[in-house]
Amino acid sequence: MTPFEEEVKKALSRHEPPAGFADRVLARAREQDRKQAARTGGWLRRLRSWRLVPVLAALMVMTGGIVYQEHEREARGEAAKQQLLLAMRIAGSKLHDAQLVVREVEQ
Amino acid sequence: MKSLGLRCAFALVLVCPAWCADTIKWPVSFDKLAKQAKESVDVTLDASMLQLASGFLEKSDPDEAQVKKLVSKLKGVYVRSFEFDKEGQYSMADVDSLRAQLTGWSRIVGVTSTKGENTGVYLKKNGDQIEGLFIIDAEPKELTVVHIDGPIRPEELNELGGHMGIPKIGTLHGSDKDTRKGDKGSKPAPQPRPDGSGDSGGE
Repeated sequence: MTPFEEEVKKALSRHEPPAGFADRVLARAREQDRKQAARTGGWLRRLRSWRLVPVLAALMVMTGGIVYQEHEREARGEAAKQQLLLAMRIAGSKLHDAQLVVREVEQ
Repeated sequence: MKSLGLRCAFALVLVCPAWCADTIKWPVSFDKLAKQAKESVDVTLDASMLQLASGFLEKSDPDEAQVKKLVSKLKGVYVRSFEFDKEGQYSMADVDSLRAQLTGWSRIVGVTSTKGENTGVYLKKNGDQIEGLFIIDAEPKELTVVHIDGPIRPEELNELGGHMGIPKIGTLHGSDKDTRKGDKGSKPAPQPRPDGSGDSGGE
């Protein structure tokens, strides 16, 4: 066996990993996963938890305000309509009475 | 800046008399009458409220369609009506103070009965154009005042006859009818105070 062959054999010979090597690799992999998640999914979570809350609250307030305003407008409109009909009924009745008297006098 | 203020003041001086002349003020005593009355009606609808009300009138309903057509040009509808338990609850001075404001209006009907009923129908004219209708109906136990501001002819109101519980009758003559009668015709049904009549701001 030449010295070269001996060197190759020595270099390719099986070595046992140091103690705890597998645990350290797995731990590092988990750490990298966590960092990756923090970089991608984290901002979504943060956005959901903090930024979306006021946005959603504002949307709810706006929607509620619009619904309330519409309801108020309808209530006011309906009341105004009833008042108008009542006013016209009174005006018509009074005019009718006046006409009756005028007719009676004319006849 | 000073000249702008002067111009504004001048414009106000010019505009105010015209505006004031158009405004008919309800007597202050009407607020007291409303408390004394068995039933009272207070309707105050300015142009914006009329527009709002008009939007809620159904075209499919003949009565409402008729009113919708009628009020489309109006600037305001104001009614005060009081019905009392006994006679003498209101003063004729209140009625007279209203009549005194109707300078420039033409009376087309004046009815004075021996039973103390006193009705007047007035029109505000600008040339051939009618710009307002005013009705004062003073009865012993009832006082009703109607002011319709805007272009309206009595005939148009008359078209409401046959609708909304108002009997149908012929046309009202445009001449001044001042007559004295022992009794009047049909009496309008007492009107309840409508919901939401709290916005009695007056004119």
